Amino acid sequence: MKITVELHGATKDLSKNNFLEFEIKKNSSIKDIKIQILKFIEKNFNDNQNLKKLIRSSAFCSEEDEIVSENYKINDNQVIGIIPPIGGG
Amino acid sequence: MLHAKIVDTSTEKIDILKAEKFLSSSNFGAVIYFVGTVRNVNENKKVTGITYDSRDTMVIKSFEEIYKESEAKLKIKDKAVFIEHVKGYVTVKEKSIIIGVGCKHRDEAYNLSKFVIEEIKKRTPIWKKEHYDNEESKWLKGVSIQEN
Repeated sequence: MKITVELHGATKDLSKNNFLEFEIKKNSSIKDIKIQILKFIEKNFNDNQNLKKLIRSSAFCSEEDEIVSENYKINDNQVIGIIPPIGGG
Repeated sequence: MLHAKIVDTSTEKIDILKAEKFLSSSNFGAVIYFVGTVRNVNENKKVTGITYDSRDTMVIKSFEEIYKESEAKLKIKDKAVFIEHVKGYVTVKEKSIIIGVGCKHRDEAYNLSKFVIEEIKKRTPIWKKEHYDNEESKWLKGVSIQEN
């Protein structure tokens, strides 16, 4: 199934489109998405460790703007947001 | 009474007069403004400006939650709160955030103003990309809000 990850903050450096799309297996969770993004960085950003660290410390949110846990199950065509460490004000 | 907004700097300017207008309509005796501006130096680097990114709907939701929680945590029932935060590019000395609070008494107003900015720092999804005079730029490190 297909999912879209909306990028925010420093994760926008991963794509000019401000989003990433992945094909993932049914019943995948946020944990699986994280693995996909880490693989994407290995392949497209020369295994950049700073970017990988950023993903590992990021939260994810649903379309309803709720922060979700690593076990949160993803549906087909779902859009989730990646929330890297914040720093407004 | 809450006013919460993201101000896109490409089309609008953040303005403290709006906060004054909002709070003057509330008739509270104690009014405090907190204004955040862009510093010209950070970590020994000369800063020329900051680009702010945000997840707008989640930002407004967090402002509303902070407003609601202040009642339970600070026991301040009667209040007016104005929060505006910029999105987009702002230069040095320009405003990035305006928080205005109105309460019956000054101790409540001081506490509420501090509570709002500290909670925004902890939970509101806003990010900063700092720009330097050598034309480099860098996303600043922040606070993780992971739920596990």
